[in-house]
Amino acid sequence: MKKMMRNMMIFAAAAAMTAGMAMAAHAEVELDVIICQYGPNTNEWFLGSGMDGSNFVEKFEAENPDIKLNLDVVSWNDVYTEVDTRIANNNAPDILNIDVFANYANDGLLLPVSDYCPEDLYSDFFPSFIDQSVIDDTVWAVPDLASARALFCNADIFEEVGIEYPTTWSELEDACQAIIDFYDGEIYPWGVDMTTDEGQAAFAYYTWGNGGGFVDENGEWAVNSDENVEAINFALSLVENGFTNPNPATQTRYDLQDMFAAGKLAMLIAPNQLPTYVADKGGDINMVTVNIPAADGKASSSVGVMDRVMAFKDDTAEDQDARNEAIGKFLKFFYDPENYVGWVSMEGFLPAVNSAVEALVEADPTFEAWLDVLGGCQFYPTAKAEWDQVKQGVIAAEQNALTGSDIKEELDALQAQLAG
Amino acid sequence: MNAGSRKNTLTPYLWLLPSILLIGIFVVFPIVIVFRMSFSEISKSGVIGGFIGLKNYKDAVSLPAFGTVMKNTFWWVLSVVGLSTLLGFIIALVLNQEFAGRKIARSILIFPWATSLVIQASVWNYIIKYEYGSLNNVLLNLGIIKNAVNWRSSYQIEFIWECGVGIFVTIPFVAFCVLSGLQSIDESLYESAIVDGAGFWDKLFKITLPLVRPALSVSTVLNIIYVFNSFPIVYTMTKGAPANKTDTMITYLYMLSFYDRRKGPAIALSVIGFVILCICAGIYMMTVMRKEDSES
Repeated sequence: MKKMMRNMMIFAAAAAMTAGMAMAAHAEVELDVIICQYGPNTNEWFLGSGMDGSNFVEKFEAENPDIKLNLDVVSWNDVYTEVDTRIANNNAPDILNIDVFANYANDGLLLPVSDYCPEDLYSDFFPSFIDQSVIDDTVWAVPDLASARALFCNADIFEEVGIEYPTTWSELEDACQAIIDFYDGEIYPWGVDMTTDEGQAAFAYYTWGNGGGFVDENGEWAVNSDENVEAINFALSLVENGFTNPNPATQTRYDLQDMFAAGKLAMLIAPNQLPTYVADKGGDINMVTVNIPAADGKASSSVGVMDRVMAFKDDTAEDQDARNEAIGKFLKFFYDPENYVGWVSMEGFLPAVNSAVEALVEADPTFEAWLDVLGGCQFYPTAKAEWDQVKQGVIAAEQNALTGSDIKEELDALQAQLAG
Repeated sequence: MNAGSRKNTLTPYLWLLPSILLIGIFVVFPIVIVFRMSFSEISKSGVIGGFIGLKNYKDAVSLPAFGTVMKNTFWWVLSVVGLSTLLGFIIALVLNQEFAGRKIARSILIFPWATSLVIQASVWNYIIKYEYGSLNNVLLNLGIIKNAVNWRSSYQIEFIWECGVGIFVTIPFVAFCVLSGLQSIDESLYESAIVDGAGFWDKLFKITLPLVRPALSVSTVLNIIYVFNSFPIVYTMTKGAPANKTDTMITYLYMLSFYDRRKGPAIALSVIGFVILCICAGIYMMTVMRKEDSES
């Protein structure tokens, strides 16, 4: 009996050692990944069957059996809440796809890109995009995709009224008046979105087109410059003259895109995905894309919007090198043209890496024109720590001005807050 | 004390233990955490720092929109709770009468309450939309109006719409609370009152109201808490725009935390809201209980 017991114990010990060795051989790096939901296809591509019948996670894990991905696709409405809550609970994701990064970097939560991004991939990113993610000479995030804004015009309306596409503010006013007169107010000439969602974009459209902007030439906040006050007053005059949708403080870009798709709106500044959006809505609009009108004598400027991928620190990880390497492998796999081209074109975005351009232009020749627009875009100053305050501040200033406040006083107050 | 009586003393506490544990973990613990956070420095991305005293509270009350938001919250709670109680009471009186189709009417009444608030608010958004709204379409087709009306022409009107939707979705709750109270009133009381020559108003104020007061008290206290904390209607319809002029405290502190990323003042505001609710509920309950004690 004793012998049998001893044999059983030896067997158990051997089994335990074997299991331990097997586990060591398959030691996994687990990565928590949060991806933002760009559209209905995002979830399918990452987790469903939208990637040639498989999905990103399955394919990645098949190619990298030592790395396990816990990937969540989170709606843009919830992602800030989810990430902030996880940070407050010391449970930040390993990899995050989102638009902003400065707050995380300033709190010392992010890893520098140089710690995990392979050099060949790093050199593939458009340099002007990388520049947008630099704080104190360190790159904290890499771009995942971009979109560019331009003015979309309903060509049939312009032909019927017999007017040219506007390039300056005075031409824009004339075009608006002509459309109002022709359709007796049945069609809104110009769309304005000063909502909590995108009021900062409206600020950019008009101030950048008047030589102003969020910052001055030294990169310091200058929200109350004379150019900005003049620009926003011009936008407000369009609303007051009845040239726009009636409720710019609550009608979002999507409301305006719906109106454009229904032929109720003649002109709208929108991202390059608008044709896809209109088609999805069943709209059949003959649309023309032109530069965003600028103040007379000033240069037109397009607005670029870029999202990012970043990696959070995790001091509890036993093997930091293995973790960094796993993050690098994730990025390599994501930006591999075989995968990335499908991802970018699926949601109608513009790429962030050179290696994807050729394939994208081949698939859709209109991409080339948008890449030119993207080259001349200005971006929001998201690397500055006060960006959230400025973004909400200019939206509040616009909305207050819509209800009768003086825009100069509003912007002066915001500038004073920033200085204080 | 013998073993049997000790067992009897402990038994109720053992039965209560699961509830106490759940309340402790999911209610008391988060409240304590939030109170602690309200006195701590909190970064824009949510990292909790050291103790900073009342700074978050000072920042919260000195925010430019604070006064507007408090005023909106007051009118929001007063109008939604007040009018939904009045209308719910009247509807409950009607539904307590015998008439053909009463069951169907009661079933229909529950719909606004049973539907998600986000759906309700979205539907009302479509109803009052200027461009394609159903209200304009119906009125235009009936020839009542000649041109579409902008039903959201100012922020004051938008706020009234939000209150209106709040009242619409709250009425069923009050009506059913009151209805349950009405059904427990003994019919013989009304018969005796009629014999004594009582009219409709006498019966309403001297029999019905005193006897449904416990049900009304419960519904009012619960309503004050629900309506004060209600988020979806305001957030779905206006997101507080323009410039927080249609925000209530709950939507404002959410915007402050997750849009403006000023988490410290946002948490301080949530504590202020909690204290206000405790005071309101406390005063109301004490008043009602004192009245009931003096009557019994």
